[in-house]
Amino acid sequence: MDRGLVTLVGMSIAYVASCAGLVFAYWGWKKHLGPDAKEEEEQ
Amino acid sequence: MVKFTPLDWFWAGAFLLLMVGGAAFFYRLARRSESDFFLAGRGLPWWLPASSVFSTHTATDTPMWVTGVIYAHGLRGLWYTFFTAWTAIASFVSARIFRRALAYTQAEWQILRFGGLGAELLRGWMAGWQVFMNMFVLGWVGIAMGKVGSLVFGWPVWVGLVIPSAITAVYTLGAGYWGVVMGDFLQGIVAVFAIILVTVVGLLAVGGASEISARLSEMGEAWRLDVFAFTGLFSGDFPAAWWLTMLVIAVIGGFGMGTSIDWYVEAQRIQSAKTVRDASYGLWVGGALTLVRNGFWAAVIIAFFVLAPNLTSVADYELGWFRMGFELLPVGMVGVFMGAILAIHLSTISSHLNLGALYFTRDLYQRYINPAAPERRLVWMGRAATFVLLVGSFFYGLMMEEITAWLIFALWLMMAGIWLPNILQVIWWRFNAWGYLASWVANLGVSWLVVWILPAFGVFPPLPDYVQFWLLMALGAVVFIPATLLTPQEQMDHLVRYYVQTRPLGWWGPVRREAERRGLIAPEEKPHSVGRPLIRRNWTPEDAADWSREDWIAIVLSPIVYALIIIGVARVLLGQLDGAVITLAAFAGAWLLYWVIDPKLRAVSVEYEVKQAGYLEDLERSVRWNSGVPTPSTEE
Repeated sequence: MDRGLVTLVGMSIAYVASCAGLVFAYWGWKKHLGPDAKEEEEQ
Repeated sequence: MVKFTPLDWFWAGAFLLLMVGGAAFFYRLARRSESDFFLAGRGLPWWLPASSVFSTHTATDTPMWVTGVIYAHGLRGLWYTFFTAWTAIASFVSARIFRRALAYTQAEWQILRFGGLGAELLRGWMAGWQVFMNMFVLGWVGIAMGKVGSLVFGWPVWVGLVIPSAITAVYTLGAGYWGVVMGDFLQGIVAVFAIILVTVVGLLAVGGASEISARLSEMGEAWRLDVFAFTGLFSGDFPAAWWLTMLVIAVIGGFGMGTSIDWYVEAQRIQSAKTVRDASYGLWVGGALTLVRNGFWAAVIIAFFVLAPNLTSVADYELGWFRMGFELLPVGMVGVFMGAILAIHLSTISSHLNLGALYFTRDLYQRYINPAAPERRLVWMGRAATFVLLVGSFFYGLMMEEITAWLIFALWLMMAGIWLPNILQVIWWRFNAWGYLASWVANLGVSWLVVWILPAFGVFPPLPDYVQFWLLMALGAVVFIPATLLTPQEQMDHLVRYYVQTRPLGWWGPVRREAERRGLIAPEEKPHSVGRPLIRRNWTPEDAADWSREDWIAIVLSPIVYALIIIGVARVLLGQLDGAVITLAAFAGAWLLYWVIDPKLRAVSVEYEVKQAGYLEDLERSVRWNSGVPTPSTEE
């Protein structure tokens, strides 16, 4: 198996999991401290 | 296939019963709180984390891997296993800093060290990665057990993958980290017994240590007893340049957090220790035991080489340690050996089940889904996450065996690209969340360039691993250093709070001065102040919090002692006189290390423990986004 392909597939799987966590974090931050939270406070 | 007598079955069965029975005993403790389920209530004496570090570092595939490198390289192969030595400096630097931060996980530490949206994104990024990683490691280790089951009993591979892991899940689900760490202690004892036993039996099978040396000389293979048998500076299959690179990665990596993939597991052990001192000793002794183990394994694998010198297939010789145990031990003891194999397997499986569940529960569920969850709910979520990880690991083990092999290589590249940022985040105040996040993202593209695209276009030939490491590090720095300097520094309030709580080592001057200006810490003692002894052994708690000459002596001495341990043990077991001298030097060095650093660690612990309850309250309010304490973003 070509090492480059190994790198591509292997790292991509790991990075997909990280990106999912990152999206979660952005959603949580937006809800609790970001623009959404400020809107709620104003209401 | 190995023939099991009723006595062998008794030993193996008794061991499994002990493990599962222990879970019932600790069930009540684990269900009390999230802290109990994942950190055993933060109250463990150093020897429990130490045994857990050792047991977790010893997985089913570890003897295969160590056998592979020793069979192929002789004693110089020990340096492959010296990656464990990241704990040498980490015990006295990053473990101390991390323990003071009180973060449950490395992901949580990110929002204590950094602030704002960047820190939050890092937390999510790392949590997602670690949930995946633990599931992947479970599948990887599970498949190794499947192969052992196939070798010993002729079982289909899935049996060895599924059944031992499912048994482990019973006590991990019930007793959480209490079950993990108490199981690790018992498993460690069984594993050490078996490792010593197989080494003794293996050496005797060849006719003793002196016979091994003589037979190697006759075969023209005496170089296999030389730990420094380099094939050149840059040439051959064991160049000195690779050895130096490995030393830098392992030893200097101890200044950082996450420079070894094992850091994430050991971070949980560091945090479960009852004091800063217990955390340091737990990590140091656990690492030292692992190196002693490698020395024992190396000796018996050299004996295996003498008995079977012509194996050319890795798949054949990597099972050498298992073959020595199953083929040479007498009836009745084979069951004990099987119990030991189960022990090293169960300890790794339980640790990764609990750790993966911790990242999911603390960093994803509690932080982003249900911050107000009561303790009981969090414990149940931990159990549910443990179950999901278990099932996921079967998927990886059975369905994705080939991808597992790909990932092992990919992970090496990932660790290479973020090695330096992992250190900088600990020692440089100006390094920020965006720089660190940039290093992770850049690493993906840079790895493709170095490993695949540029060699494919003939820009340079495929490079040796150690050259790839330095190149990946340099190219990564081209991205993360500008990303850091072009984005704002972390808020000074946030940095001061982190500094006062954790007292990090390194370039923290502006933050230190600001903390002093605010009257939060006393001015630092001058290194050459009048009347200071060469080695200070009487410390006030306040002075001990600063880094001093004694810390630097520990930082230099500790890796040297580790190197003496691994070389000395292997060579003394193989009957080399210098091995005895080196082992004695290791003992003397370890005593000196203790004599120099222990008074300081005691004082640091006293200074910190009085403040810990307050810091813990802050942490719990913070994870619930409670504005009672300034969370990363509220002050921006």
